[in-house]
Amino acid sequence: MEHNTERRVVITGLGVVAANGIGKESFWRATSRGISGIKPISRHPTSELPIAVAGEVSDFVVNDYIERKLVNRTDRVTHFVLVAVQEALQDSNIVLEQENPQRVGAVIANTMGGVEYLLEQARTLYTRGPRFMSVYSAIAWLQVANAGQISIRHGIQGYCKTPVNDTASGLNALGMAYRAIRRKAADIIIAGGCEAFLYPFILFVLAHSGYAALGNDPNAYRPFDRRAAGLLAAEGAGICMLEEYEHARRRGATIYGEIVGYGQTNDAHGLMAPSSNGSQYARAIRLVMQEAQLQPQDVGYFSLDGQAIPSSDQGEAEALHMVFGNELARLPVSVPRTILGHSYAAAGALDVITALLALQHGIIPPTINCEELDPRYGLNLVQYEAHPLPAPSVLLGGRALGGTNVVLALKKE
Amino acid sequence: MQRRVVITGLGVVAPNGIGKEDFWRACISGRSGIGHVTQFDASLLPTRVAGEVANFEPEALGITRQEALYTDRNTQFALAAANLALVDAGLDDALSEAERNMMGVYTGSAMASVTAGEQLWRQVTDSGTHPPRESANGTVPITLLMTHAPAAAIAAHFQLHGPCMVIATGCSAGSDAIGEAFWAIQEGQSDCMLAGGADSAISYGGFAAFCVLGAMSTRNEEPERASCPYDRRRDGFVMGEGAGVLVLEERERALERNAHIYAEIIAFVSNSNSHHMTALPPDGEPLQQLIRQAFDEAGITPAHLGYINSHGSSTPTNDSVETAAYKAVLGEHAYRIPISATKSMIGHTQGAACAIEAVVTALVLERQVIPPTINQEYPDPLCDLDYVPNVARRATIDVALTHSSGFGGVNSGLILSRADWRERQT
Repeated sequence: MEHNTERRVVITGLGVVAANGIGKESFWRATSRGISGIKPISRHPTSELPIAVAGEVSDFVVNDYIERKLVNRTDRVTHFVLVAVQEALQDSNIVLEQENPQRVGAVIANTMGGVEYLLEQARTLYTRGPRFMSVYSAIAWLQVANAGQISIRHGIQGYCKTPVNDTASGLNALGMAYRAIRRKAADIIIAGGCEAFLYPFILFVLAHSGYAALGNDPNAYRPFDRRAAGLLAAEGAGICMLEEYEHARRRGATIYGEIVGYGQTNDAHGLMAPSSNGSQYARAIRLVMQEAQLQPQDVGYFSLDGQAIPSSDQGEAEALHMVFGNELARLPVSVPRTILGHSYAAAGALDVITALLALQHGIIPPTINCEELDPRYGLNLVQYEAHPLPAPSVLLGGRALGGTNVVLALKKE
Repeated sequence: MQRRVVITGLGVVAPNGIGKEDFWRACISGRSGIGHVTQFDASLLPTRVAGEVANFEPEALGITRQEALYTDRNTQFALAAANLALVDAGLDDALSEAERNMMGVYTGSAMASVTAGEQLWRQVTDSGTHPPRESANGTVPITLLMTHAPAAAIAAHFQLHGPCMVIATGCSAGSDAIGEAFWAIQEGQSDCMLAGGADSAISYGGFAAFCVLGAMSTRNEEPERASCPYDRRRDGFVMGEGAGVLVLEERERALERNAHIYAEIIAFVSNSNSHHMTALPPDGEPLQQLIRQAFDEAGITPAHLGYINSHGSSTPTNDSVETAAYKAVLGEHAYRIPISATKSMIGHTQGAACAIEAVVTALVLERQVIPPTINQEYPDPLCDLDYVPNVARRATIDVALTHSSGFGGVNSGLILSRADWRERQT
């Protein structure tokens, strides 16, 4: 469909809390150089857990950013996202007080809610009784707490949503916000994802799922590698300020890039890891390239999902072959989340931030850990160090347990 | 011209009835589904009543043995409701791959997989008293912890390859899922969507988290009278469980296949309180805004509105604030328009609530009968509108509003019209 009058959606501010850097500058310094944020888990004992390393956010002092009262009523996941929102707002130079609050929204993805807060309170409930349980248990726990607290803190009265779609949730958040602005449901949306689930019980379940690499090797996240054995989990938050293009232009905002396509399909193969069959993922990629009017040679790099589960990796590679054919050999692809770990709902948003910074700096951040890249995938994986970016657009893919394939396209003006 | 979206199938699993007809009969006869909590020992809690779904047999409702193994009750409710809705829409026969590529699933959830998650956590950590260890039966299905499982399980069951996700905006999640699905069809991302919501959080942890907030009714002696929206005795919401799933379809496609059309969706709007995690501001300003915006989007005035299926949660503040907002927006029409609160009969089914209420609203438009708000005994002077007290009634309704005010401050609303209403306007 051609619409010359269609509203355009641009990104004008970024906020990051990640295992390898808090704030977009330190995050980019580390990510562009492949400096890993994976380390031994320090906040909880891991001696009895099958997983001992993760992308844990360290040096995060929440009281430096947020008043104590709010800190006590919210989970770590909300702390992360509030800090990332604050940074993104500052970065965008927007003065929200001057905007119509009903035209401002927040779309914040999250899969596990304030699970640490909840489980600490659940222990109190079961060991001491209901009278000792915090009044804020539900308020801190539910996934909607993140969008809700952002809305209260920043006076946001418009479109607020909480997409949940496993490891693809973050891309869904950006896609939903993009569509909402396009259809005039809002002019400005704070969009992204957050996660803080490096809690013993969740790590235990993750370890038993077969989707996570076990042990204490900080380099164990190896997508498309012969040794691929699952992802390494991480925590963090990534936030983008999405703005209608004319609105951004009028206020003289710095524009990182434009969202030019969003699409999703589903493998519908069951509550299992992303499928080894790439046909539905390929359909999503084609839908998005069509919406974005991108040809293969326009794509600077493809930011891959990279679950590091051999069957899922195979499905992803197959999808790329279906779409790009012979051109795949020269298409640069990368999995920057190998550097910071897979932060589930935050991951897609952090990938988008990485891609926008890649567009700004003209380089593709590398994938690490894949010394034994499996040649049968036939991928041109950017490894060890950043490469020059050959074209000013990026495609991003995200896949989820249960079959969702999400693709987003970004373009530099 | 913009694509139009109609409702062609309804599926419901509710505390007072499973399946559209059972549920509708219960609603128009004012039958409560609230009783004493049986799913866990609530003796230590101030609230011991809930709207539990009785006699739920997964296999009788089309859920396979394999699915039952790795899904929790909330996902099974969603699967059952989806199955009922697709059969109702006449879409249960083999669909082509091209059709299934254009069919997706959006469902709402407020409480994630708390019940199954809590059980698993108790099993492997002995209620948080030691680090997680292998459980006796050795299985630790991660699928039980995934909030997006209901949507993913529906997509897998029916091999639907279109957009699929869960929206977790608290008590507005069901409306948001339906609204986003409506948009997806309008914009051409899909031709048909299964949309709705599901929740089942009647567990010690899920319940206690709301008890300590003081948000739930403590009228334990008379469970079926505990949820009494707008009544002077109301003292908090009653938790319910269930699922509602609607088949939304692009109108031309529905007409082409001669589908029965319950209603058309003519607007979806949502906003955020930016006030408090669990309450509207006293004047209900965000709700006023929401309704005004809904009228704008739908291109209607209060004079068109023939019915409101309200949020009516039976908390002391919600119901009076809601009433104040209706008066502010609707003026004299506020006293004319019949309003009913489904929660009076089934409690607050959380992520399912708006979806079940959308099912009711679609049936009201189809059948021109309004189910009552039950438990209307002691009028509250602050709630002096027509809540269709205790007894169902016939009415002529072309346009209806259903809305919600959710935990976290998200308010959402849908405007539905009678199937042929727009045609009659021109």
